[in-house]
This record gives sequence, structure tokens and C-alpha cells, in this order.
Amino acid sequence: MQPKVALGAAEIAAPALSRPGPAARSGAYWLNRSFRWWSFLPAALLMAVLTLYPMVNLVWMSVSTIEFAQGRDIWSFTPGRNLDLLLSDRVLRHAFLNTLVFVVVSVAAEMVLGLGLALLVGRLTRGKGLVRTVMILPILVPPVAIGSMWKLMFNYDFGVFNQALMGLGIEPVNWLGSTSVALISVILVDIWHWTPFVFLILFAAVEALPVDVLEAGRVDGATGRQALRHIILPLLRPALMVAITFRSILAFKAFDEVYLLTSGGPGTSTELISLHLYKVFFEQNQLGYGAMLSLAVIAAIVAFLLVSRQALARSTAA
Amino acid sequence: MTPFGKGERWIGYGLLTLAVLLVVGPFVWITLQSFKHQIAIYTGAWIFTPTLDNYREVLFSRRSDFVSNVWNSVIVAAVSTSLVLVVGTLAAYSLHRLAWARWVALGFLAWTIFFHAIPVITLIGPWYIAFRQLGFYDTQFALIVTHLTINLPMTVWLMMAFFREIPPELEEAALVDGCRPVQAFWRISLPLAVPGLIAAGILAFIFSWNEFAVALSLTSRETATVPVAIARFAQQYEVQHSQMAAASVISTIPAVLLMFLGQRFVVRGLTLGSVK
Amino acid sequence: MTPWRITATALASATLATLTAGTALAQQGAAAIGKHPPISILINSSPWYAGFEKVVGLYEQQTGNKIKLDVTPFGGMLEKARNAVRGSESPYDILNLDTQWTIEFYEGGFLTPLTDIDPGFKLPQEVFTYDQSGYWNQEKRWRTAEGGKLMAYSPNGNVHLFLYRGDLFKEAGLKAPETWDDVLAACGKLHSPPRAYGAVFRGEKGNSIRYDWMPFMLGSGAAITRNPAAGDYTVTINSPEGKKAVDLMIDVAKKCGPPNIAALGQSDAIQLLATGRAVQGMLVAAAWPNFEDPTKSAVVGKLEAVPVPRPASGQHGDAIGNWHFVVPKSVPDDRKKAVIAFSNWFLTQAAQKAYLEGGGIPVRSDVLTADLASNPKYRWVKAYLDSQKFAKQELGYGEGPQVEQVLGLRLNQVLIGEMSSAAALNAAAKEIEEIFKKSGRKTGTLPPLPES
Repeated sequence: MQPKVALGAAEIAAPALSRPGPAARSGAYWLNRSFRWWSFLPAALLMAVLTLYPMVNLVWMSVSTIEFAQGRDIWSFTPGRNLDLLLSDRVLRHAFLNTLVFVVVSVAAEMVLGLGLALLVGRLTRGKGLVRTVMILPILVPPVAIGSMWKLMFNYDFGVFNQALMGLGIEPVNWLGSTSVALISVILVDIWHWTPFVFLILFAAVEALPVDVLEAGRVDGATGRQALRHIILPLLRPALMVAITFRSILAFKAFDEVYLLTSGGPGTSTELISLHLYKVFFEQNQLGYGAMLSLAVIAAIVAFLLVSRQALARSTAA
Repeated sequence: MTPFGKGERWIGYGLLTLAVLLVVGPFVWITLQSFKHQIAIYTGAWIFTPTLDNYREVLFSRRSDFVSNVWNSVIVAAVSTSLVLVVGTLAAYSLHRLAWARWVALGFLAWTIFFHAIPVITLIGPWYIAFRQLGFYDTQFALIVTHLTINLPMTVWLMMAFFREIPPELEEAALVDGCRPVQAFWRISLPLAVPGLIAAGILAFIFSWNEFAVALSLTSRETATVPVAIARFAQQYEVQHSQMAAASVISTIPAVLLMFLGQRFVVRGLTLGSVK
Repeated sequence: MTPWRITATALASATLATLTAGTALAQQGAAAIGKHPPISILINSSPWYAGFEKVVGLYEQQTGNKIKLDVTPFGGMLEKARNAVRGSESPYDILNLDTQWTIEFYEGGFLTPLTDIDPGFKLPQEVFTYDQSGYWNQEKRWRTAEGGKLMAYSPNGNVHLFLYRGDLFKEAGLKAPETWDDVLAACGKLHSPPRAYGAVFRGEKGNSIRYDWMPFMLGSGAAITRNPAAGDYTVTINSPEGKKAVDLMIDVAKKCGPPNIAALGQSDAIQLLATGRAVQGMLVAAAWPNFEDPTKSAVVGKLEAVPVPRPASGQHGDAIGNWHFVVPKSVPDDRKKAVIAFSNWFLTQAAQKAYLEGGGIPVRSDVLTADLASNPKYRWVKAYLDSQKFAKQELGYGEGPQVEQVLGLRLNQVLIGEMSSAAALNAAAKEIEEIFKKSGRKTGTLPPLPES
């Protein structure tokens, strides 16, 4: 964490208080007086009103078995049962490992590519806006279309990739139908889809870099690589943290594309936790166990975030 | 950032061109499909007679509500993005600068992460029941509020990262000079965080524009948004790639335009009158 | 008045006259059906939707009653249907449910039996019951008309059709395939990858391969459970017949299928047939219109349809995939009555004929009979009707989706060579038994098949 100077409430109010008078009781006065409160309350209220109920509901479900009869839901308290199901779930082990590979590989690739692109585009003197607009295109396509259209591109007989390979006289690749390639194909789509997300965040951070610090570094005679390692990366760290945090969360929850591309197959080769959760919670209507599984996913995400933030902090230390 | 040096320039441009091609390639390919009949898509044909049938079908057929779907998306995404920027930026600034107790700030941020990590399918049931009880089912209000909430965590975190990059001395000096706290925020910190604001706005807009699960369960035919409409082309027994491609292409146009306008609005509004 | 104005006035009065005539006609229809409040239907976009929409338009025109169609993506149907019945008052008066979802809704008591709304409501004899999936016997927890109440009727019913290229078969001197041996023989002559694949079906993990394996299973005389209708959930999938059924499917895949058959979904199978790359294929009847539309198909007029072949030493078998119109309990009475009024009308011969002409698949046998079969446009109808005689409902219990997940994975693993058929069936049997145990059914399993 960077050291930061937080201003006390007293200090904030001080300039206003030092000039008492009729103006002090005006709207502006109160606006400033209560700034701390009204700036934070809307967000806090929103989170409280919209997220508290679903969260409590989820936790409660995870220790229950829910059945339906005569048009009503009947909850019974069975924490042990859901935990048992979790521990004896055969698919879960495959799903967990695949998810880990999927998240680590795609997020790492997206971070590296996104950072590289942000640094490159940041050095352009013209056309930055245009490049940014172009980079937005992949995240603008609805996920259901991405899944369906990439499935066509990966098609064994007519897909654009195999057309290219055969044009070059190379054997066609079974992109989605072979257990050893399917996960790689899915990761490729994810990288195409989500590198722009990382790029957008990091490019904004590059744009906000203080010019004088960079100039100073140059005057001190730092080489490009040294400047990157010791000046730029540490300055970008807050943005890198945000990018990796939110990208990882979304990668853990990746669903639409994988579901449409492979449905988790062939075999268990692309089975992800999110797909498994969908089947359990949604298709099989096992609400209690599904909720337990959701909590396990959240726990896995939090653990992963803690580890990845450590790793990132170490690799960007000044 | 410093511009390219002489030797670096060509390597830099080369890499950039490659990157842009890789990003744009699949998108161009999808666009190409939107001008084909389904059979030409199936055969992966490169030589084909272009047709506008898909666009006609998507936009003007009696069965299609696509124009109103786009309009719904415009309203929901624009309003929820504007709101999330206001609410999220204020909260980020507040938590970063205004001396909240550590447990408040950490507690709130941790809560947003937990919330963001929740699988969406477990959220929509409770939300549906709540909004139906309150009479907001099938309204744009419900969608705006939920999208605002969904995008709040990322906006707060992102804006905090940008406020953190601003040296605190700038504001302190202004406060000593008699600047008021709200002015310090509005005139000093916010203009310096404009790149972050733009990034946060673009991302919130896109996530709202493409959000499917919540939009599906809280809307019906009249209030449905673009992703719900596009998912209709993925049917149980077939995928209508041709129309899906056309609909995807159409939907990007208003989105790009709106983001462009929004960006100009933010830049104009905040850099005028800033003390940089 | 200028001439233009005169024309306009004439046109207007002519329109008015037509309108009045139309109203008179409508009133005649309305007299039988009566005035009812508007209702709304949760329905998915599908190949038969266009036909249904036209029929609904006709109903509105004839009766003046309004119907709102909420067209929803297939992937969102179950979600919205559940929301509708779990909340206070359902926003929809009719839900359209896939066959596998019905159990959850029947068993959970979310629906009103149609005969509770109107004791006089009866399905006309000519209407397909699709193995009685619209009836629910709560005591037996089984879909049967015997002691069961009428909960639903089908707006659409699917069975597999086996499609083959009539032109290529003629050239090669082959006759329409009756057994899988005939299919394999055709592959022997016409399978030459990657230019032509002998036959395709869906091998993709999950519902795809499970559903497409059903004809093999039923044809070989195998069954997933011993007698679920009588409450006996002993798992019998790992029987010698079950193994035969898997081996037969693998044999067809190996000798006829494309190399990526284990990843082949509905859309991919349609693609291979529509482009002319596949010579034969097993697909649901709903996919048929794809092949007769020149913007979607390169084989217009070339495909013929027969019921799914049988094993050389077995019978024909097929699993039904039909949709169900049901009424949530929480719908107010006057709208429930409106649903019955529409349903009575929709199931009449005239309405079903309009449904067929609009592109739907009617659910009345008398609309589909002989005179249609001679029309080349409807050359799939005979196979569809023949299949009705042996097609069955499968997985008619609450655990169905879980059982499907087990089978959908294990069968796919055999297809990609990760498991032998015996090992996969033994594993599946054990897992399915466990599922039934957990839900408290009377269950058990056969002795494992030898795995070598």
C-alpha cells in the first residue's frame, strides 16, 4: 500500500469555520460540512438495499435443503448434507483444476498484453482516441454472439482457422473436439475478448501518469527498461491491482462463451466451476447445494485474489 | 508518456498494427457474416453475393422489436452509467480522502468484492421477487438500479486507484489557500482523475450494455434490452448466425457513439475551470 | 374534389366495408368462444414460432380477444418460468415448458390442472398426447393419464427424424435405411472424409449426446431404470443391452462420423447436412425447415426422412422432446378461463391447419394424415407419424437433469476414447444409483459389466 495522507474531518471543516458569518449558514456551508457523509452514503445505501438480502439469502440457502410442494418452498436446515455433497462431488475436482488453469493463463496473458498495449498506445502522439475505440470492439460484442461466432471460426470443416491451415498445407486442428486442444481454444477466445478490458484500465492510468516524474527519470539518465521497472510500473501499481482483481473475478465467473463453445466438453476437458454451478443450481434445481457451491467459488476467488495481489506487489515493487 | 524515439518508432508501429489487426480481425469477420445468407456462413465462403436481408429482418420484420430493444439499452446503459459514475466517484473520493475509519473503508471495499464475486444466477431470484413485490418488475427503473449496483464495485475501486495517483500536496495547498472541500474535490482531484473517469465510464457502459441474466429476468418483451434480443437468435434447435451477426453489428453503433459523446461531455465539463 | 381525393375516399370506404365484414365474421367466432380478458404467453423463439404467431393472430382477429406473446431466448425460458410461479402473481398466464422441466412444475404444485379450471375441458382424440406427458399422477409421482390429472397439452412435439440424401442413395443404388446396418452399409459406400461424412448425430457432452443416444438405447431394449412408473428405480443401464447400445453408437460414429463428432452440437450437425457434407443424419423434426430454405441450405429437395433406424436385431425406439402449455396456479380465474377458451380453439382442426400452413408442426393427427404425405413439401410427415407409434418419454422424474448430466458425460467419454463402454456404464450406473439414494427412492443396480 502506498502511504497516503488522509485529512481529518476537523481539517476539512477548518477553512470554512475560520470565516464565520452569515454565509456560513448558507447551503454551500452545509454542503461542505456534510461532504464526508453525502459523498459516501448513496453508495453505502445502494449496497445495503440491493446486496444484503441476496447475500443473506445465499448464505441461508447454503445450509438448507429446499424443496417445493403445493406451490411453496420448504426449507430444512441441513448444513452437513450440502457440505457432504461438496466433498463428494466428482466433477468439481476437474472443474476446479480447469478453472485454475483457465484463470491463471488467461488473466496472466491479458495483463501482459494489456500492459504492453497501453504503454505502446500511450507513446503515440496522434490517434490515441481512435485506437482506444477500436480496442473496445471485442468487449462490445454480446457474449452469446462471441460464443456462437467463434464456434463457427473454430469449426473443423468450414472454420476460418482450418481454412487457413489447409491453405498452408497443414493438417486441420480439431479445435473444440480434442481434449488436449479445447481448453486452449477457449482460453484464446477469452484473451481476445478481455485483453481490451485490461488495456482500457491501464491506458487510462498511463494517461494519468505525472509528466514531471517521467521527465525527471529521463534527465537522470534512466534507460527505457529501467524507467519502466523502477518508475512506471510502481506508479501503475494501483491500476494494475484493480485490473487484475476485477479481471480475475470475471474469469472465475466466465460462462457464456465456454457454455456455447464446448458445454464443458469433450469429456471434462473444459468443465469450469461456473458451468458446473449452472448445472447444479439451475438445471438440476439443487438450490441448497448450489448455494454452497457458490460460497465455495467466492472463497476460491478471494483466496486467489490475495495470492495474486501479493505476486503483483512483489513484481512491481520499486 | 514520452513519444517514441527514432529507432523505436518502427518496432512500435509494427507491434501496434499487429495488435490492432488481431483485435479487429474477428470483429471484421463477424461483420462479414452479417452480409451473408446462412448457407454461405455454413460453408465458410469468402466469395459470396452480399445481402442486406439480415439487417432488414433484424430491423424491420414484424417479429422483431430490435429498434425498441436498442432504445431500451440506450436508456438503461446511459442512465445507469451516469449514476454509477456520480455515486462511485464520490464514494471513492470519500473513502480515500475524507478520513473514514479504517474498518469502514476496508469493510465497504471488501463487501463490494464479495458482492462482485457472487455468481449472478444466485442473485436474480431474490431480485426478481423483491422488484415484483415493489411493483418495479418489467420497468427500466429496476434494470437501471441493478446495473448501477453491479457496476458500483468496479467504479469505486477504479476511481480510488486514480485518486491515489494524485499527489495529496496539491489539495492540501489549495485547502490552506481557503479552498473549500467540495471545491478541492471538484476543481483539483476530479479533473486530474479524468482518464480514470473515462475508463470507468466506458467499462460500466459496456457491462450494462451487454448484461444478460438480470435483464432477462426483470424484463419482458417491451422492456427487453439488446443482449436479450440477440440471445433469441440462439434457439434450441438452431443458431441463426446471419441475423445474430447483423444484430451484433447494429448494436455496436449506438454504443460507440454514446461512449464518444459521453467522453466529450466528461472532458469538457471537468477540464473547464480546473486549476491544473 | 380532385381525382386523387376521390380515389382516396373510395379506397377508404372500401376498407371500411371490409373491416365491417371482418367484424361480423369475428363476432360469429366470438359467439362460440366469448369475450375474455387479454392473456400473455411465455414462449421461446424457435422454428415453429412463426407458425404459432400466425395462429394467434388469427385467434385475435376472429374473437377480438388479445394475446401477448413474450418471445424469450430458449436459454432464458426455465428461469422466467420459475420466476413466474415462485413469485406472488404470475405475469404469464401460459408457460411453455420443455418436457424435462415439467416434472419440477407438476411435482412442486405450481400449476392448475386444466380440468380444474373447466371440468369439461378435454383433449380431442386426434391430439397427440406424446406418451401422456401432459398428465400428472401426484401419488405415483409419474406422468400418466391413469389416475393423473391433465396439466398440459403440447403446442409442439419433437421426435428424431433420420435424414438421408435421396439423390446420392439413388445413384449408389441404396434403399432407405431401415436398420443401423443399412446406415453402416451406406457409409461404406459414401463415407469419404473430409469431403463427405457418412452420417452425423450430436456427440457433444450433456443433453446432446444423451438425447441422441436414446434411440440406440430404446432400440436395443435397454433401459435406464427398471420400472419407475411403479416406483422401482433400480438402475439397469449397465446391462448387456446397454453395452450393445453404446457400442453400436460408437461404431456408427467411428465408421460414419466426422473427427470432431464428440463436440458436435445441434447447429454443427445442421451445418454438415445443409452444406451437403454429411450424407445421413439424425436430427429432431423441428430442424427440417432448415434444409428446405435455399438461403440456409445447399441441399433443398434432396433430403428424405425416415424414422430412426433400429438395430438389426432390435426394434425402433425414440425419445420424445415436446413442449407443454401449462397454467400457473397464481393466475386469476378470469384469465384462466381465457386460457381454456384459447386452448379449445387452438386444438381445433381448422386452427391446426393454419398452424401447419404458417410453418408449425401441428399436434393433431388428422391434420397430418395421408393427403399431406403425397405433397413433396411434407415428405417428412410420414416418418414423423410412424415415429409416434414407438416414441417414448424418458427421464420422467425429478432427478432427470442429474441423470442426464451423468450419462451426458460418460457417453461422451466413451466417444473420445477415455473410457470403455463397459467401464462408462458401470460408473454411470453407480452414480445414478447414488442420485436416487439421496432422494430416497427405492433403488439398486445390476452387477457390473466385465471391463476388459
